[in-house]
Amino acid sequence: MPPVRMQDVMDQLLSISVGMEILYSFVIILCSLMVYYGTKELYELSNYKGIKYFRLSFLFFAIAYFFRSFIKFLVYFFGVKAVREIPQFIAPLTLFVFIYASSMAVFYLFYSVVCKKWENKSYAFHIFAVVISIIILLSDDAAWLYLGINIVLFFLLAIGICIMHRNKKENKKNRFFIVYILLFAFWLLNVVDILLPTIIGTYQLTVYLISLGIFMLILFKVLKRAG
Amino acid sequence: MPKRERLEIIKDILEILKDSRAIKMTPLLRKSNLSSQRFAEYFQELSGKGFITETIDKQGKKVYSLSEKGFRYLEKYKTIIGFIDEFEL
Repeated sequence: MPPVRMQDVMDQLLSISVGMEILYSFVIILCSLMVYYGTKELYELSNYKGIKYFRLSFLFFAIAYFFRSFIKFLVYFFGVKAVREIPQFIAPLTLFVFIYASSMAVFYLFYSVVCKKWENKSYAFHIFAVVISIIILLSDDAAWLYLGINIVLFFLLAIGICIMHRNKKENKKNRFFIVYILLFAFWLLNVVDILLPTIIGTYQLTVYLISLGIFMLILFKVLKRAG
Repeated sequence: MPKRERLEIIKDILEILKDSRAIKMTPLLRKSNLSSQRFAEYFQELSGKGFITETIDKQGKKVYSLSEKGFRYLEKYKTIIGFIDEFEL
């Protein structure tokens, strides 16, 4: 039996890892687009703002996950450890779109819940998302800064959603706000996985599986409700 | 009586049109239980979205009926409300 070379094992592990990333992103993008297109008729008939921003949020999730997997691909392709080490101009551009789309996804999901009380403020989210993206691109220690911004955002959005849930009429209350908070939390972990991959380390598969579970639960509920 | 929400008002107007088959503007306004200003806003929205069909009756007066899209809204109304409640939107 020929001796097993370390390089071959590493190559094999890398291809499994790339395959896992592609499959993970593909399933999430598919779920997000199915939510977006599955709710098209409900929005066209009702013109309801909450449905509009809920749909747009999942469109932005699909875009963000596409660019997330593209960043992962670039990292593997150039054989570097982090996106900042990629030499070409494509890295900052991809990072900008990724941060903008991911910020918009969580903002719009939050806004879909609060838009009844807080009307016509959606432009503010675009401004916030662009400002966050520019700050990250211009900053030297972007990873930790972005992580900090996302942690603050996570707490603000989670508290906002809890307050909205508490103020709802008793007969309109359900426990779905917990799924939103989990979605925000696992989105945060996905961002950490891109910017500071060493923090997630061996828990990556767990994060992926739970994230998939959350997106699939939302898709299941959407298909059940919207038909 | 609690305030009706936008989607419910639309459903009520469309149900009047469905039950009446063809109705003139004044009875539609009366049955909708809205002020004339609010009714005009809703009517404009529903006409613009193609939920209402306008025809001329034998006396040459304008009458209104429910379009295919209007029927679709009524069919999907419970689904829309269920969706909004389910996702706390």
